[in-house]
Amino acid sequence: MWTINRYPGTWLIPALLPVVLMTVYPIGHALWTSLHEVMLLFPGEPFVGLKNYERVITNNYFLDALRNSLVLTLMAAPVVVTLGTLVALFLQRRFFGSQIVRSVVLLPWVLPGAISAVLWVWVFHPSFGILNGTLRELGLGQFAVDWLTSPRTALFSVGVAHIWTQIPFAVVLLMAALANINSETLEAAAVDCRSPFKRFAYVIFPEIKAMIVVLLVYNALMAFTTYDLVYAMTGGGPGTATTLLSFQIWRESFSMYDFGAGSAVAFIVVVISAAFIVAITKALPSDLFASD
Amino acid sequence: MPGRLHPLLTFLFAGLILLFTGGPVLLSLYGSLVPDRILFDSSRSLLTEGPNFETYRYVFTGQLPDSYLQESANRAMISDAARQVPQALVNSTVNALAAMVLNLLLGAPAAFIFARYVFPGKKISFLYLILSPLVPAVALVTPIYMMMQWLGLIGTPFGIILVHTARALPFTILILSVFFRRIPAEIFEAAVLDHCSRFQLFWRVAVPLSLPSIGATGLFAFMLSYSEFMFGMLLSGDAETRPVSVVMAALARNTDVSWSLLNTGIFIAIVPTLVLVVIVWRFVVEGLLSGAVKG
Repeated sequence: MWTINRYPGTWLIPALLPVVLMTVYPIGHALWTSLHEVMLLFPGEPFVGLKNYERVITNNYFLDALRNSLVLTLMAAPVVVTLGTLVALFLQRRFFGSQIVRSVVLLPWVLPGAISAVLWVWVFHPSFGILNGTLRELGLGQFAVDWLTSPRTALFSVGVAHIWTQIPFAVVLLMAALANINSETLEAAAVDCRSPFKRFAYVIFPEIKAMIVVLLVYNALMAFTTYDLVYAMTGGGPGTATTLLSFQIWRESFSMYDFGAGSAVAFIVVVISAAFIVAITKALPSDLFASD
Repeated sequence: MPGRLHPLLTFLFAGLILLFTGGPVLLSLYGSLVPDRILFDSSRSLLTEGPNFETYRYVFTGQLPDSYLQESANRAMISDAARQVPQALVNSTVNALAAMVLNLLLGAPAAFIFARYVFPGKKISFLYLILSPLVPAVALVTPIYMMMQWLGLIGTPFGIILVHTARALPFTILILSVFFRRIPAEIFEAAVLDHCSRFQLFWRVAVPLSLPSIGATGLFAFMLSYSEFMFGMLLSGDAETRPVSVVMAALARNTDVSWSLLNTGIFIAIVPTLVLVVIVWRFVVEGLLSGAVKG
C-alpha cells in the first residue's frame, strides 16, 4: 500500500459520478416520501413523521413478510455460495465434456428474471410439471405436491428458483478467484497435505475468502431485495406464504398507490440489509474492508 | 489440479450440475419444438411427432403456424410480442455492451486506487459505494423516472445504459479491487523502481495481469444489464427500443400465449447471448488456467 496525500479525484470521480447521480436525489426523494403521506388519490402531501413506518410495522402482513424475507436470505445466500464453491472447484478439473458443463452452468444467467420464473413454474406445475411427473414415474407419487400453491412448499420452491438464477455468477467469480491462486502455493500444499479437505480449509479457502465475502454480501442483498421471481411465480401467495418485504414495497407503491408506505418498507429493508452486511464482514474478517 | 476423482463420481457430479442448471432450459427447448396440443397430450411426444419449427418461422417471417390456422384454434395464442424478440435482442445486447464497457472504463481505475493506495477520504468513498446498492431499486423507480424525464432520456437507450452502469458499478469496483489486491506487491515495487508512473502501474502492470479477471467482471456487468427488467421497462419507449427482458416478460405475463410460442421466444433470446457469454467465459477460464499470473 502506498500513500497519496490528496484525494485522487481523476481516478475516482468518473466512477463515483454516475453512482452519486443515481443515488443522492433518488434516495433523498424516497426518504422524503417515507416521511410524508404520498397517495396518488389524495392531493397534498402532508408531513406525517414516522407514521408510515408505524403503519407498516403494525400491519398484519409485516411479520410474515419479514420472516419470509429472512428465511429466503438465510437459505439462498449460504447455499448459493457453497454450491458455487463446490461447482467452481469441480469445474477446475479437466474431464471429458468439461467445456460443455462449464458453458451450461452459465445458462441460468442468460435468462431475465421473468423468464426464469416461467421456466420454474413449469417445473413445479402440479399436473404438467416435470418434478411431479418424475416423482410419479419413480413411484413416489405421494411426494408429489402442489409446490407453488401449498403454503408449506411455496417459499422453498421460490427459493430453489432464486438459487438457480444466482449460481452462475458465484461460479464465475469463484473460478476466477481460484485460478488466481499462485500455482506454487497449490503445489506445495499438495506435497504437504494429503487430505483434500484440510487443503481446502487451510490453503484454498484463505485465498478465496475475500471473494466469498463479496459473494455472500452480494447474494444476501439480492435475496433480500428480490421481488420479480415472487411477482411472476406466486404473486406473494398462497396467503402470505411467499410475501417478501421487497415485494411489499412494490405492492404498497404500485398496487395500492401508497408511496409513503412503500418507501417506509424500503428503508426498513435498507436497515436490515445493512445489518446483514455488517454481520457477514464481522463473521468472516478479510482484508477487503481494511483501511490500511 | 491436484487430486483425482473417481471417473464415475466425476460423471455423476457433472450430470447433477447439468441437470440442475440446464434442465429447465432443456424443457423450454422441448416446448418450443412441439405444438401445445402435443405438449399436453400424454400419449404423444416429440419422439412420435418429430420436431416442429413453425413457431420459429413465425417469429422470423410472420407466417402463422399451421396449427393455429385450424378452426378450433384460439387466435389469442399468437402474440405480436414474439415477433419483437429479435429486435429486442439487438437492443439489449447494445445496452449491455455499453454498460459493460462503461463499467470497466470507469470502475477499473477506481478499483485499482482502492486496492493499492491509502488516501484521505478513502473510507468514506468506499463506504458510499458499498452502501449505495442497499436501497431496493423498487423504491427508487419514481424519482429516477422523474430525473430521466428532466434529462430528456426517456425512450432512448442512454437512460437505460446510465442506470444500469450506475447500478453495476459498486459491485464492479468491489470485485475488481479483490482481484487487484491479489497481484503480488513485488511486481509493483519492481515497476516503481523502473520509474513507472501511477497510470503506467495501472495500465501496464495491473490491467494486463488481471485481464481474465477483468473479463469475468465485465461479464457480470453485461449480464446485470441484460437481464434487468424494471428500469428497462420504464425507460424504454416503443417496440424499437425495448430490451429483451421487457418483451419476454410481456410474453410470459400474457397467459393466452401458447407455450410453444413463448418457449420459442425464450430460446431465440437465449442462444445468441449464451454464445457471446461462453466465448468471453472461455477466454476467462483459459486465460486463468494457463496461469497468466506467475507470482
